[in-house]
Amino acid sequence: MTKKTESSLVFWVFLAPVLFAFIMVMVIPFFLGSYYAFTNWSSSARVDGGLRFVGLQNFAESFRDPAFLYSFGITFAYTILNMIAINVVAFALALLVTGELRLKNVYRVGFFVPNLIGGLILGYIWQFIFNNAIPSLGRIIPVLGFLANPGNLMLSKNTSALAAMIVVGTWQYAGYIMMIYVAAIENIPQELLEAAKIDGATPWIRLKSITIPLCAQAFTVTMFLTLVNSFKQFDVNVSLTSGGPSTMLMGQPILGTELLALNIYNTAFISNKLSVAQARAFVFFFVLAIISIIQVYVNKKREIEL
Amino acid sequence: MKRIALAFMVLMAATAAFGAGKLTLMQNKPEIDAQIKAYAAEWGKKNNVTVVIKSIGGTSGGMGPQLKADYAAGDMPDIFAFDGLESYKEWEGVILDLSKEPWVSKTSVAFKYNGKVYGFPVAVEGWGMAYNADLLAKAGIDPKTLTNYDAYKKAFEKLDSMKKELGINSVVSMAASVEMGWVTAHHNFNSLLSNGLPYGDLSVVNDLLAGKVDMQRLQEYADWVELLFKYADKTVLLTGNYDAQVGAFATGKAVFLHQGNWVDPNLKAANATFKMAFAPHGSMKKTTDGIFVAAPSFYAINKDSKNVALAKKFLNDLVTTPEGHTYMVKDAGMIPAFSGINLNPEGQLSKSVQQWSAAGKVYSWNQYYFSGDFRDKVLTPIYNQFAAGSITKAQFVDLMAKAFKDNAKK
Repeated sequence: MTKKTESSLVFWVFLAPVLFAFIMVMVIPFFLGSYYAFTNWSSSARVDGGLRFVGLQNFAESFRDPAFLYSFGITFAYTILNMIAINVVAFALALLVTGELRLKNVYRVGFFVPNLIGGLILGYIWQFIFNNAIPSLGRIIPVLGFLANPGNLMLSKNTSALAAMIVVGTWQYAGYIMMIYVAAIENIPQELLEAAKIDGATPWIRLKSITIPLCAQAFTVTMFLTLVNSFKQFDVNVSLTSGGPSTMLMGQPILGTELLALNIYNTAFISNKLSVAQARAFVFFFVLAIISIIQVYVNKKREIEL
Repeated sequence: MKRIALAFMVLMAATAAFGAGKLTLMQNKPEIDAQIKAYAAEWGKKNNVTVVIKSIGGTSGGMGPQLKADYAAGDMPDIFAFDGLESYKEWEGVILDLSKEPWVSKTSVAFKYNGKVYGFPVAVEGWGMAYNADLLAKAGIDPKTLTNYDAYKKAFEKLDSMKKELGINSVVSMAASVEMGWVTAHHNFNSLLSNGLPYGDLSVVNDLLAGKVDMQRLQEYADWVELLFKYADKTVLLTGNYDAQVGAFATGKAVFLHQGNWVDPNLKAANATFKMAFAPHGSMKKTTDGIFVAAPSFYAINKDSKNVALAKKFLNDLVTTPEGHTYMVKDAGMIPAFSGINLNPEGQLSKSVQQWSAAGKVYSWNQYYFSGDFRDKVLTPIYNQFAAGSITKAQFVDLMAKAFKDNAKK
């Protein structure tokens, strides 16, 4: 055996387990799912349940459904707001824990820990905070009396419930993104900052002209992570709001905070329309892929410019 | 070496268990998971088989996903639970005809379709307006009079004016958040479908399924829903979950609870010792003297199972052996759906359901004639908006009527 064949053998042997798993749970289901999106598949034992090819009917039905259209809109809104909130908070925290601060390692761990709690549990914890803890705060402190008014509960209106989801999403994810920023900030050569300082640059100028441009690579990564994660948000959505409270669109009452992933799940398992849900998942994949490619492209371009 | 020996032993045990045969049961009541597992383990020992119990609960989306995944994987359980006509249709192709089973003659609530029996009733459950008898006595209200809308309206007004004396936050503990859609769009919805009708009467259901809406009935029902929402604690109503809703009643902060007898264990755990029972729903002007009682779910046997005989025996033994009786009534605290069982459940509300049942004052559960899609995705948002006050009663009636008409077109 030559050295070359041996090394390629080793390469494939080491790759095989991962490749096997990837093909079994990602590649095959992806193509099967794409196929099912064009059929009436239901995975149940209905008497009239033979598998039939129905063309684009599932897609057409989805785009006529106000609930799906609404989910699309609200997912975009949630993604944009959540991206901004997470990145601003994470960057601020990163600046804080890379500065001259005592116990900064303790803070780093503290900010990171929420990320280790599962989204479902987090949703239930925050549900308790929004529904019980905050109103009782309002009852104890007279100035905050308005918090105790049931009309002001964050989860009782769909706009404020969306804001509540962003609060929870930020609390959960900002620590993780902070770590990426910390790594980037610590890699900035100190002499640059010192030179700027000696030349009389204010902290704001140093931040704007040195720190942020030199973190451009980190921005590409964090933007991508927060974009994809926000767009795919499911677990916090389920446990915190279950898609409620409801609202109206096109004269139909629909769920007011049902993000796309939850809408797909509900279509599949509450409405029992698996093939329609497959079609929606396909659209979801397609849209997310396009958006993230655009995002990475734009960020990469900026990296060079900066 | 020790470790290898251990691994080998585990493997041996696993294959031994497998070799002796396996009976799988998937059921939708996680609250009795421990009890049914204990019973199944005992039963399995006697019958030389391993019984695997899978419990997955929740709303209509609860057990469905797992069952569908198992079906797609060719790994359907031998026995599985379903809740009514819509889910029966979902699995019609694999459900075995059980008409000739010995337990059929001992129950009146088995699941029947086209004259054949397909489902073994898991238990009998009921709901109405659970009331705190002590608080009602204090307010001087006789629960026996609570049988129609006007009586409830008067009682609610009186109780509302006595909030301080009674130490309550609200008159009724009601939940209408999207998460609690099963309280509004499943249970409360049933008042519209079956209240005041003879048991098993589907006239209203069939009319609504055909898009024909009896506006008078719907108007009266809307009054009832409005009454419940108006006198409910807004926090519990709009954002509360099951614990918040039941908790308000258990701690004496609400006089009425819109739930069924399955809350008995929760009330016991919360040390609620006051006297309580069920009163009928007041969804109509006329008197409707009965509560909603039926089997909440049924066990079906998988036609393609290799263990049909064993599965049949498992179900039959629940009805015919003392161990089965003890499990159903004493351990799981359920009201048995079969005659010839002399044990009684301990919970106060379960006893109340039995009394209503024994008196023959019962109305059926007809909500399962509507799909989960319709209830959870169409009706739940309507109730939720009405509760939040973002639509008026007139709009509520219009939206409901429109929902039925749209549903009929599908």
